[in-house]
Amino acid sequence: MRRVAVTGIGVIAPTGVGRECVWAALVDGKSGISRIENFDTSNLKTNIAGVCRDFNPEKHFDERELSRLDRVSQLAIAATEMATREAGLTNGQLDSYDAGVYLGTGFGGQGSIEEFCSAFFVNGKGRRSAIAIPKSMYNASSSNISIRFKTRGPNITVTTACSSGANAIGQASHLIRHGHAERMIAGGVDAPITPVVMDAWKEMRVLSTKNEPPERACKPFSANRDGFVLAEGAGIVVLEDFETAASRGAHIYAEVIGYGSTADASHITFPDPDGEAHAMTRALKDAGVKPEEIDYINAHGTATKLNDASETEAIKRVFGSRAYEIPVSSIKSMLGHSMGAAGAIEFIATVLAIENQVIPPTINYEEADPQCDLDYVTEGSRQAARSTPLRTAISNSFGFGGNNAVLVLRAPVQ
Amino acid sequence: MTREAVESIEDAVKGIIVAELRVDRSQLGPTTHLMKDLGADSLDALNIALRLEERFRIKIPDDAIPKFLTVGDIIHGVNEHLAVQ
Repeated sequence: MRRVAVTGIGVIAPTGVGRECVWAALVDGKSGISRIENFDTSNLKTNIAGVCRDFNPEKHFDERELSRLDRVSQLAIAATEMATREAGLTNGQLDSYDAGVYLGTGFGGQGSIEEFCSAFFVNGKGRRSAIAIPKSMYNASSSNISIRFKTRGPNITVTTACSSGANAIGQASHLIRHGHAERMIAGGVDAPITPVVMDAWKEMRVLSTKNEPPERACKPFSANRDGFVLAEGAGIVVLEDFETAASRGAHIYAEVIGYGSTADASHITFPDPDGEAHAMTRALKDAGVKPEEIDYINAHGTATKLNDASETEAIKRVFGSRAYEIPVSSIKSMLGHSMGAAGAIEFIATVLAIENQVIPPTINYEEADPQCDLDYVTEGSRQAARSTPLRTAISNSFGFGGNNAVLVLRAPVQ
Repeated sequence: MTREAVESIEDAVKGIIVAELRVDRSQLGPTTHLMKDLGADSLDALNIALRLEERFRIKIPDDAIPKFLTVGDIIHGVNEHLAVQ
C-alpha cells in the first residue's frame, strides 16, 4: 500500500489569500468575520459573514473568464493555482491520466443559480443564458480545475454538506493509496453567502445573531454560543504518492495516514455522537494508530448548541479520560463556517499546525459549558512543547445529513 | 429598409457581439469569424442568438445558429428574419 504526502497548499479564507497569510492570522487568533455589504440584509437577523475580502478575481481571470465562472469556480481555480505552484508541479506532471481532482462543495454555483432563477421567475423568460447550467452545476469547479490544469484522471465532486472537503481529501488519499492515481488535487470550496442561503439558514435558526462586533460572534464550545457564522473560501491540497514526491525532492508537509467516514443514519440535521465517534475510530483504525497517539484534534466546532456538545461527547467516547489531555480547537471561531470548504481548510490548518508545531486557538470563548469541558485552547495559540511534539493529529468534519468524515495526519517521516 | 435602419441593425449586432465576447468593436469586420478570430464557442453562439432574439423580437430557429459564423452572416441572418416577420 502506498503512502500519501501533502506537497502543496492553496487556501483562500476570510482572513486572507494564501498559506502564509491565512496561517499567520490563525496563530494570531484573528477573526475574518465582517459585515455583509454586497446585498441588503435588512430582513435578516444576521448581517455578518466570513467574506473573502482579499480575494480579487480580476487578478486571476479576464473579463470573459469571469462571465463564465461562478465565484465558487473562481475560488477553486485560484486556490489550485497556489497549491500546484507550491508543489512545484510542471505541466507534464499534471497533464496525465494519473492525476485527478476530488473536490467537495456544499452549495456549488449557488450565486449563479439564484441569478438565473431570478431571471426566470421575475422576468418570466425561461431561456436566459446558455451558460446557466455549465456555470451553476455542482461539478463545475472540479471540471474547471481539470480543464485548466489538464488533469485527466478521476474527476469527482463530492457533496456531503459540511464534511464535503474532508470526504474529498479522504477519498483522494485512498485513490493514491490503492494506486488509482499518482497525484490528486483535492479539497473543498464554497461561495454560499447569498441572499437566499442567508435567509434559509435564518429560518433554521442556526446562525449566530451576535452581529456586534462581527469578529466576536462565533463562540465555539462557549456556553453563550448561539450558532455558526456562514463563510466562503477554498482549501486545496496536492496529494501525492509519498515515494514519488520524496524522489522528486518535493517539500512534504505531512502524511495523510487515515480516513474514516460514517453516516449517523438517524436525523437529517440532529447530530449523533455515535456516528461521529465511529468516524474517528474508523479513521484511527485506517491509520493504524491508537487513540493515545493523537496529539491534537482540529474540531468541527461550529458554535451551534447541538454540534459542540455532540462533538465533545463523541471525543470522550473515543479517547476516554485522555480526552481531557488532548488540545481541541475550532478555527471556525475565526473563519466562520465555509460549508464544503471548511473540512479542507481545517485539514490545511492541521497540516500547518504539525509543520509549525503550533496549535491555533479557539477564540471568543467566554463561558464554561458543563457539556463542553475539554481543553479548547482558548488562551491563544499554543506552541507544542519540545518534550511532547505535535506528531499525529485528526481533523473532524460533520455535515448535515449525518455525514461524518475524519482525517488523520502525521508529521512526515522519510 | 432605409440606410439608417440597416446601419442600426449592424450597430446593434456588433454591440451584442462586443458585450458577449468581451472583444473590441474595432476587431469586427464583415468576415470576422466568431470562433476562429474571436475565440467564441458554441455556448457563446447560443447566447448571442438569445440576445438577438430579445433585441429584435425575432425567433431564430435552432438550425440557423450554426450558420452564424461571421459577423456578416449574423447581420445578414437578422435582416432575413426581420424581412420574413
